[in-house]
Amino acid sequence: MPKVLVIVPFPMDAGNLEKRRAQLKAVRLGPDIDFEFRPVAIAPANYVSQQDALLADIGILEAGLSAQADGFDAVCIDTVSDSGMSALRSVLDIPVIGPGRHAMLTALMLGEKFSIVCMWDRWRPLYTKTLAELGLEGKCASIRAADLQPNNQELLGGREDEVFPVLLDVATRCVEEDRADVIVLGSTTMHEAHEYLAQRLPVPVINPGPLSYRLADAAIRLRLSHSKTTYPTPLTPRAAAIAAMGAAVRGR
Amino acid sequence: MPRILVINPFPLDAAGVARRAAQSGHVALDPGTELVYRPVKFSAVSFMSPHDWLMMDLGVYEAGLTAEQEGFDAVVIDTMSDSGMAALRSVLSIPVIGPGKASMLYAQTLGARFSVLAQWKPALPRYRKVIRDYGFERQCASVRSFDVEPDFVNLTEGKEDKTFPTMLAVAMRCVEEDGADVICLGSTTMHQAADYLAERLPVPLVNPGPLSYKLAETMLALGLSHSRKAYPAPLVRKDELVQGIVGAAAASN
Repeated sequence: MPKVLVIVPFPMDAGNLEKRRAQLKAVRLGPDIDFEFRPVAIAPANYVSQQDALLADIGILEAGLSAQADGFDAVCIDTVSDSGMSALRSVLDIPVIGPGRHAMLTALMLGEKFSIVCMWDRWRPLYTKTLAELGLEGKCASIRAADLQPNNQELLGGREDEVFPVLLDVATRCVEEDRADVIVLGSTTMHEAHEYLAQRLPVPVINPGPLSYRLADAAIRLRLSHSKTTYPTPLTPRAAAIAAMGAAVRGR
Repeated sequence: MPRILVINPFPLDAAGVARRAAQSGHVALDPGTELVYRPVKFSAVSFMSPHDWLMMDLGVYEAGLTAEQEGFDAVVIDTMSDSGMAALRSVLSIPVIGPGKASMLYAQTLGARFSVLAQWKPALPRYRKVIRDYGFERQCASVRSFDVEPDFVNLTEGKEDKTFPTMLAVAMRCVEEDGADVICLGSTTMHQAADYLAERLPVPLVNPGPLSYKLAETMLALGLSHSRKAYPAPLVRKDELVQGIVGAAAASN
């Protein structure tokens, strides 16, 4: 049975991990496939600066480094920033799915332009980075933020009445003012709002986490993985050093 | 139990459809998925000029027009040209997947730049046009032809010994000279060569037909379909007119 490792980009307790795992309910998966959610040991407090981006890359690389050796068939990274994806792809042969680029490219299968709706404007650099890497800046109608403080542990729980209508208002402006054909949720932590938005918006809404699980499934069944010319293997992998970083943090 | 209508863009007989249907052998589909292959009644004979593209658009459109009424859950168009896809999306709410643009987008999930392996030289202008139209000039390393005339009925059958090594040599030039990180097969008619090429190339090979089946399942699994904003519905549907002219064209053969 295929096994997929989902790397959750913050350390968290079992209860909050379950809120991440709930994303599996939003997608019908293929037969006999198992998803294991594993939080990282090394992480920033949130994703709002270059320091955070660097620590996120390291933490996710550390958490996924042994995925292939551990018998996983694919890795999903549970953050739209796609943090750690490039480094992991360079050391793993199994598919490594970053929901950010997969959501943007899937959006372009459904319409000409997409908008990204996020919680706060501090997340903007996460999206501009991937758009620049893809060279698809022109396909993004807008990035709009709701000006709400995200909570990467509790997600949106208990704040539905406060958060959902604001997100709907922001997404509606993306459609009406910016001419977005498709809305991409700017974070996997926003998944609880997906159904509410999808029922009320006149355009498709992409839920990046569940999409990434299904695309991991598809990559396994198609026997397709990333290109080693884009993600070349290091001549001297520092696996022991990276494992030591993780052990240092866990032992603290 | 998703039922997916796969439209073959030529009026094939049963043996021709079977050669197309063999594409499903390249991928494990979900247990409940049923693929129903349907050839168009009318199409282009060659596929190298705007005239041909228009004929095929119409033929595919007619073949898929009633898919939603018939109870299909999705439509897949069995050609990299995505012929008829835009018009079908404008009248259908179920997902309509064409492997052309989708495989170029999927290639970009796997690597920075892709090349398209085209069949013969007269096919090149159309690939170059759509890559411009899609805005993928920066992401496309090259389009190269292996210069063998296409056979839309027999595909590469019986010509493997000669054709497959030629395809491989051209794909290798895409990788080594043009810097392709991913190779897209330029036609769903090339699927018989996919395993041979994938085993020998140093980069991933996207086999568009099987990918399109998997993408149709993906959209259904997530409740996604195309945007009505990008594919607005016509004010007046002209189904009878379409069926009438396609029927007349097919009878004139």
